[in-house]
Amino acid sequence: MSTTANPAWIPEFVGDVESTPNSGTYTITDQVQLSDTESQMVLNMGPQHPSTHGVLRVILRLDGEVIIDCDPVIGYLHRGVEKLGESHRYAQVIPWTDRTDYVAAPMNNLGCAMAFEKLVGLESPERAQYWRVIFSELARIASHLVWLGTHALDIGALSMSLYCFRERELILDVFEAYCGARLTTNIMEIGGFSRPIPDFLPDQIREFLKVFPSRQQEYVDILTANPIWIARTKDIGVISPQAAIDYCLTGACLRGSGVNYDIRKAMPYLVYDRLDFEVPLGTRGDVYDRYLVRMEEMRQAIRIIAQCLDAVEKMDTELMAYESAYVIPPHKGTMTTAEDMQRHFIWVIKGFSPPVGEAYFAVEHPKGENGYYVVSDGTAIPYRFRIRSPDFVNLGVLPYVAEGAMLADVVALIGTIDIVLGSVDR
Amino acid sequence: MNETSIQEFETGYSEPEDIWARTEYFHQDVERHPAVREVRAAFGPAIVTVVRYGDETTIHVEPESFREVCNYLRTHEQLGFVVLTDVTAVDMLKLRTTPRFDVVALLYSLKNRVRLRIKAGVDDGQPVPSLVPLWPGANWLERETFDMFGIVFEGHPNLKRILLADDWDEGFPLRKDYPLRGWKEYPSYNTERMVPRTRTRWTGRGV
Amino acid sequence: MGLIDDRFDKNVFVTSLDFVFNWARRSSLWWLQFGLACCAIEMIAASMARFDLAERFGMLYRASPRQADLMIVAGTVTKKMAPVVRTLYDQMADPKWVVSMGSCANVGGPFDTYAVVQGVDQVVPVDIYVPGCPPTPESLYYGILELQNKVIKYDSMAKKQGLAEAENFREVERQVAMSAVRV
Repeated sequence: MSTTANPAWIPEFVGDVESTPNSGTYTITDQVQLSDTESQMVLNMGPQHPSTHGVLRVILRLDGEVIIDCDPVIGYLHRGVEKLGESHRYAQVIPWTDRTDYVAAPMNNLGCAMAFEKLVGLESPERAQYWRVIFSELARIASHLVWLGTHALDIGALSMSLYCFRERELILDVFEAYCGARLTTNIMEIGGFSRPIPDFLPDQIREFLKVFPSRQQEYVDILTANPIWIARTKDIGVISPQAAIDYCLTGACLRGSGVNYDIRKAMPYLVYDRLDFEVPLGTRGDVYDRYLVRMEEMRQAIRIIAQCLDAVEKMDTELMAYESAYVIPPHKGTMTTAEDMQRHFIWVIKGFSPPVGEAYFAVEHPKGENGYYVVSDGTAIPYRFRIRSPDFVNLGVLPYVAEGAMLADVVALIGTIDIVLGSVDR
Repeated sequence: MNETSIQEFETGYSEPEDIWARTEYFHQDVERHPAVREVRAAFGPAIVTVVRYGDETTIHVEPESFREVCNYLRTHEQLGFVVLTDVTAVDMLKLRTTPRFDVVALLYSLKNRVRLRIKAGVDDGQPVPSLVPLWPGANWLERETFDMFGIVFEGHPNLKRILLADDWDEGFPLRKDYPLRGWKEYPSYNTERMVPRTRTRWTGRGV
Repeated sequence: MGLIDDRFDKNVFVTSLDFVFNWARRSSLWWLQFGLACCAIEMIAASMARFDLAERFGMLYRASPRQADLMIVAGTVTKKMAPVVRTLYDQMADPKWVVSMGSCANVGGPFDTYAVVQGVDQVVPVDIYVPGCPPTPESLYYGILELQNKVIKYDSMAKKQGLAEAENFREVERQVAMSAVRV
């Protein structure tokens, strides 16, 4: 029986009960042995859940608050984009890649267009390459803003989502000014850009570049030195460098653990080898390091866009490669000359025929390495169109990193892996 | 395809100064590729062919030695293909008769900054050794390949469907003989009405 | 009571109390946070600072279907997800409305494949269809405003005459609307 007397209004417990007067908690020392599975609880974070960033289902096996096993179930947004890529012409495949990772759609378009260009051996002109870099880096900032907004929202910093989406509206205005669509842009085409860049676009982007650093400083002020944020993200979800390579991680998940693999530096494409930027690396590989890595990537993206704008404003060259076999002719030619009109007709109705072969091209997507593997059999339709999506592979590390973590950390872990279910499920 | 006999191989070119130089990986003559050289030396009979398209090298191997070749490349000091980028498959039904599928593993070397592709040709029903003991991250990639093509990976801890529903009984979608719009109508899950899968597209590719 | 019931057409508010209830319903629609795909990002953007769907219309998202009376199906409904959509719809309490946002939820969108349900109306009954891929927040606004027009006309026929009668009437309304559309 208890050593200290219970207050009169608490009934006497049957059995051996110890009470600590200060905390008021009771420990049942009566030994009831539960078997392993009986003492574990299976919790289903279902496909409809505010924190799972879409339709992700996570089946957790818990012992109290500690996670023993975690089984992510995906496929609730599997739409068959790879199969669609096998039944439509090359230029028609690019809009579907928008819908895979819908927060950074221009980057998906870039990977797809450049994989097709690699297959046929085409290179876009320099001015188009600079503009591709500008739109890609804007997409990178947009994706990181969505990541930060939802990640902070899940952890508890509710106002961050409002701030991040406010900045994101400025970027979406830029996309809308060029191609008319905010989200699913279909902005990159095989060979460059067929629509001219409006004159006010560089100024609009400069306005954004002027405003963004101070806004990002607001985010840093709210989060980076915040003790609550640090308590919820430091030493959570630690991934060692060897584990990161073993689990095939790429992007900020890999660089947060200290492994220096950024495709823009390792295998440079477009004009990245002429630009001056740095790649941030983390040290410990926890959630806090990945947060810092992504914040720094946003700053480096601003730097890249500024350099590209300086370089491209003075240029007046063409935006689309003039390669008669694979690229539609310029609009003026289509409207006036017979040959160009015939070529446009054949290209749109029948499609171009690339050589027989295969190509793999990967871009440094905000989430990791987004690769496109195309196998061609000589016809106008790809034979195999494979999207190597970064968050599908990154999400595979969730069982490894959630084992032993507390239940409240699961949302932090899902947020730090940075998934978009359209890209996971394709 | 670069099918050189041993005699031509020996006398055809001179030994370069640094056989591990990055330029050797991109040389026109694929037999000078350092990885091709090493794999041929270690696994001579297991290699079916070596293909080079653009700047990408593909080594076709026998499926039984798929895992050993990848492990050799991963643990080699100078080659160091430690990163597994992708595991997928291609259904070659329309391009050749046997073997039907090509299981593709894409590797990347961090220190040499080059890519390499390993392919293994398997038939329907023939299993392939799994890469999960080497890279735990291949777990989900192989599950997806099984889900889409029906290729069984031996040694995989948890080979079941990942992108489609667990009780999906309509086959493996990314095979070439599977129609784009599927076989069955949409089943009625306690719905108000059921719409059959009638033909709604009258032009275009008849898929 | 019988005299008054027969005098009025079913579209006219039978009691002024109904009007008050419907006004309250349409001014504080709480929607179920159910974003599936790209349209979810536009739905979130519509409730954020620039477009502010939440504060201006009294709408607010709830994570639990028991507390919501509007389900905005934003995104592609796949065959794997369809039973979940139906379960969530069944868990919502009457009166409830469904807005199908985007092409994927309307008719399956650009994805006519083996894994996609061609339209969420094969799973749940839909009140408003908002077209777009994805619809801009302004389009979603237009859909919500049309829905508010529909809510104000909601009469509690279900309470008075039973669910079957109300469903019947809804089907009749739908037939009338479809016959006006040339297929």
